[in-house]
Amino acid sequence: MILLPCPWCGPRNVAEFGYVGEAGPRPDPASAGPEEWRGYLYGRANPCGWVAESWYHRMGCRRYISVERHTLSNEVRPLATEGAGR
Amino acid sequence: MSDHVRRAASADARGPIARSPIAPAPPVAAVAGWEVSARRSDADLTVTDLTPLAKVQVKAPWDGALAGTLGGPFGRAERSASFEDAEGDDEDVLVVGSGPGEWLALGSPGTAPDLVERLERLAARLPNPEFVTVVDLTHGRALIRIAGERTPDLLAKVCGIDLGETVTPNGAAFRSSVARLAVDVVRYDRDGTRSYLLHCERSSGQYLFDALLDAGGEFGAEIDGFVEPGLS
Amino acid sequence: MSMRLGPQPGEVLDRTRPFTFTWNGREVPAYQGDTIASALAAAGVRVFSRSLKYHRPRGLLTASFHDPGCIVQVDDEPNVRGAHRLARPGMRVRSQNTWPSLNFDVKAINQLAGRFLSAGFYYKTFIRPRWLWPTYERVLRRFANGGEVPPEAAGDYYDKRYAHPEVLVAGGGPAGMAAALAAADAGASVLLVEEEHQLGGHLCWGDEADLAALRGLSERVAAAPGIEVLCDSAVLGRYEGNWIAVVQRTVPGVAERLVKVRAGTLVVASGLIERPYVFAGNDIPGVMLSTAVRRLINLYAVKPGERAVVLTGNGDGDAAVADLKRAGVTVAHIADARLGDDIVRAHGRGRLRSVELPDGRRVDCDLLVTATGWTAPAALLTMAGDRPVYDPRAARYFPDPARLPEDVLAAGGIAGDGSLDELLAHADAVGAEAARRATGAGDGPVPIPTLPVDAHPALFRGRTHGIVDFCEDVSSTDLVQAVEEGYRSVELVKRYTTVTMGPTQGKLEAVNAVAIVAEATGRSIGETGTTTWRPPYVPVTLGALAGRVFEPVRYSPMQPWHEAHGATPLVAGAWIRPDHYGDPHAEARTVRGDVGIIDVTPIGKLDLRGPDVPKLLNLLYVNKWSKLDVGRVRYGVMCADDGVVLDDGVTGHLGPDHYLMSTTSSGAATVWEWVENWLQTQHPDWQVHVTPLTTAYASMNVAGPRSRELLERVTEGVDLAGEAFPYMNVRTGRVCGVDDCVLWRIGFTGELSYELHIPAAYGLHVWETLMERGHDLGIAPFGVEAQRILRLEKGHLIVGQDTDGLTRGFSAGLDWAIKLDKDDFVGKPELAWQQEAGEYPRLVGLQPLDGSVVPEEACQIVDPPRRADRRPRIVGRVTSSRMSPILGRSICLAQVDAHLAAPGTQVTVRLPDGRHIPARVTDHLAHFDPTGDRLRV
Repeated sequence: MILLPCPWCGPRNVAEFGYVGEAGPRPDPASAGPEEWRGYLYGRANPCGWVAESWYHRMGCRRYISVERHTLSNEVRPLATEGAGR
Repeated sequence: MSDHVRRAASADARGPIARSPIAPAPPVAAVAGWEVSARRSDADLTVTDLTPLAKVQVKAPWDGALAGTLGGPFGRAERSASFEDAEGDDEDVLVVGSGPGEWLALGSPGTAPDLVERLERLAARLPNPEFVTVVDLTHGRALIRIAGERTPDLLAKVCGIDLGETVTPNGAAFRSSVARLAVDVVRYDRDGTRSYLLHCERSSGQYLFDALLDAGGEFGAEIDGFVEPGLS
Repeated sequence: MSMRLGPQPGEVLDRTRPFTFTWNGREVPAYQGDTIASALAAAGVRVFSRSLKYHRPRGLLTASFHDPGCIVQVDDEPNVRGAHRLARPGMRVRSQNTWPSLNFDVKAINQLAGRFLSAGFYYKTFIRPRWLWPTYERVLRRFANGGEVPPEAAGDYYDKRYAHPEVLVAGGGPAGMAAALAAADAGASVLLVEEEHQLGGHLCWGDEADLAALRGLSERVAAAPGIEVLCDSAVLGRYEGNWIAVVQRTVPGVAERLVKVRAGTLVVASGLIERPYVFAGNDIPGVMLSTAVRRLINLYAVKPGERAVVLTGNGDGDAAVADLKRAGVTVAHIADARLGDDIVRAHGRGRLRSVELPDGRRVDCDLLVTATGWTAPAALLTMAGDRPVYDPRAARYFPDPARLPEDVLAAGGIAGDGSLDELLAHADAVGAEAARRATGAGDGPVPIPTLPVDAHPALFRGRTHGIVDFCEDVSSTDLVQAVEEGYRSVELVKRYTTVTMGPTQGKLEAVNAVAIVAEATGRSIGETGTTTWRPPYVPVTLGALAGRVFEPVRYSPMQPWHEAHGATPLVAGAWIRPDHYGDPHAEARTVRGDVGIIDVTPIGKLDLRGPDVPKLLNLLYVNKWSKLDVGRVRYGVMCADDGVVLDDGVTGHLGPDHYLMSTTSSGAATVWEWVENWLQTQHPDWQVHVTPLTTAYASMNVAGPRSRELLERVTEGVDLAGEAFPYMNVRTGRVCGVDDCVLWRIGFTGELSYELHIPAAYGLHVWETLMERGHDLGIAPFGVEAQRILRLEKGHLIVGQDTDGLTRGFSAGLDWAIKLDKDDFVGKPELAWQQEAGEYPRLVGLQPLDGSVVPEEACQIVDPPRRADRRPRIVGRVTSSRMSPILGRSICLAQVDAHLAAPGTQVTVRLPDGRHIPARVTDHLAHFDPTGDRLRV
């Protein structure tokens, strides 16, 4: 079981987290056309390599956190987020 | 579940009787308006239902002024008298840094309304106003204490956190999976004896209590009843 | 005939504690400390099992945990390692895979059909004709190897625990002990895991000097603080981040305990495993490895035979010769492989009779001992990324330290050869370095000495063919045949022949298999490569993996009352709720006629505070929330960004900057995370605090025309009159003497009703008081089933029942709620496009023309085919259906295609039995009181 570096709780077993998915911005709903919007809903780059991901620390601090994970080696490294200075 | 079926604590109780989600082990007594177990055990490992304690949640900016006043940062629990009000009320309170920008204050049974008021006053006295809310969670949570030298061994059967001195020394507070439940855990040694407070949402209280007793079987765990004020 | 020897210096027996157990019904004596196999061998038993395919008799081979020849049934437990499991008084031990008996086994006829059971036999034989497979399967099952679990067998208690040692040492031989001691000396916490029942590894069956060294190490380990020793335990696997699975078998009252270890550094000190030699007759009972005879003699005081031939290629074979002589065994012939000696084949059926030598001589004997080399059990290292390298000079594989991650080290025989002192010095350095890497303490890396590598003759297969995999009954002929059929990769040969796929998982046979494939393909062993080692390192029971099952359950504060009043429980997620109290139709009638009360505690409740709550509500709900006065509640629907209905509920405005949001019971956790997600990731600037209060309140709905009358008797501080507290309002007050109760006037059931949220510790008190005070009003409890009937009569949808993962807002009958003129809300773009496109399925009320027929939920609505040979087109489905007690007929909600949604349309419902019945789309979703007069009284 891999460890995720929670910026609030420290390294924790991945089983404590819910997977949210590849991190990406939400398009402006006022101007986005169907193609752009559905790309946001369903399109994922799924690269072989480093990918920025959101996870929800359900069993811990209950914060949405971001990490970078290597999809081939499962190596995980933190992304600079709030909480690092606690 | 037949142990769930229980009789009212006392027929002549004045006013409504408050009940923990954990069925009290007989004999049953009433303490501060709560139905509690009056069982006494001097076993080496004991499990106690502390649900009657007042539990008040505070939310405020994690790096704000109130955070500094409250004491316990996220991950620490401290006995705190720092927010005593002007009247010199010295009611002892345990403040648990239970989340980023989230605290839980634990006090004696029946003190929740007073605790809410004191915490709100404390927030109101801040020089620069912060967004602070205070919510009484006394009814929303079950609280259990396990005490004894082997409690880390018991906890290691239901929780994946390192319970060693370096990671979780006395006063450490963390939330993690305990028996597949999200549980707030506070390392709370008393008189040099290992002890932990475990705190989960109310409806799972009986489940957690039973899971701890089951895991504690090999260490001779026994139920010890509630004695005021609950947190010595 | 007893083969028990007099006391041996290193024996693990307690001769003051003799007892008996049974073997296939026969009583066998044993001492405390005997394994099943050692006691049987002492009693003269030589055949323990039959082989997998050919049902050849099998005896002891390694006399250790990995011995493939003595897997037995013990009482209710199948597949017990007989050479490892300690004998217990009274245990009933039986042989497995024999029929009708161990000594006369009809399936041994398979031997004669050997050529038909050769490599790939199963793949080639049983695939055609395909329809015969069920028959093949039944017959083949009888030939499968394995014990039996009687259906009435009592389950054992299995357990789990976590551990966080700074250093985990896998293997408790001399190197493992030394590494553990060094790590502990350096201040690390250490978990030392040993497969055998005691620490010491090969020292246990060694000479006086070995035993003295063992005593010294054992005393130091016992005295060292910070070393936890788990004997009779196995490391199953190593995963990312040094997440390590250990199965522990020594906990009293616990069959097995899975230890989930997160270790700082892993030290692999698994030692070496002796390799069998491949030749004709190498599986005849009486052919054993040198370690087996040394274990039998020195640990268990068992004389392994009377007259022995020994093939030795190393010092351990020579030591076995010495042990045999000391035990009184006649050593009839020694073939020294270092001098070029060899053996050709073993003769005998059921037991060894003689050994044939290269010069044609046959030496009579009942014991043939081979010492032909070692396998490094590198499984844990390869799981960490290592690729072992073959050293032809030593005729074995060595780990490649360069490929190991920082947090994995190797010590002992697996890493190299050398004297005991050299191995201990190496392990000492490894242990200190492991501690340094885990704790960061110390002054830089500890230099680790290099171990020497001793030359060893390359002995894999002799001049005849024999068994390679003793578990799977795979012979060297099978491997050669597989190569001839074109399987050149050792991985493919493995899959084709099943070599190394049995319980020993390659520990005995992998290197021989590689060597034989190398020989058959004309490549070197190094070029041929190895098979991959994967977890588990040793076979593991399903019980150990399952462990104690944690299944959280949730109860409302009124659960004791429900149980005492005969409620039939309904499991809804983790919640246990009353489904009904005997008669759901009667319960529904009570609500329509008098007053009923239902426990709705699982309804999700979120306390929302802060000045920006209205912004949040406007964003997450599809309807408008800007103007909601204090004291009012509003129904709201949430959609996800794909427009699909996520949840619904009511939210009330309790006070300044203070709201209480309710969610569906099943959606409580999802909505909480949903709200947090939007606040944390999209609007961290908004001042909103969210606190889940689902179980802080005991929630109960008091419903029915007489509900107001009842509440007036017990409520203080709230004017319940219709005009003072109208429909869709909220008040706080005192109920049954309990302060701070929240009262919503809402009506899922369609009746005048009040939803009470009581501080949870008083829930039971309030419920009991209401039952008591409502007695003369005819109050009765109702369960989830009655509520489902009532809400269906009223046409109220249930998210997840009348909608699914594809149902967008306009398909859920929510046109009235969705406000596309709001600036933004979650799901708006998709909902706008859905409305624009128009042709979407609709939620409608539906009534079968025959009101006595209740179509099952999920029944299809079909377009009947015009021609009998066409399949009907699916145009919708029934989402909810019940018999309505108040209407006396069946009623439904359904999703139908747009062209069928107009009231009065007749549609066809296909029942599960294939019948088609007509049904009519109703004017409203509500089948009863569509104008809502009963709600507003």
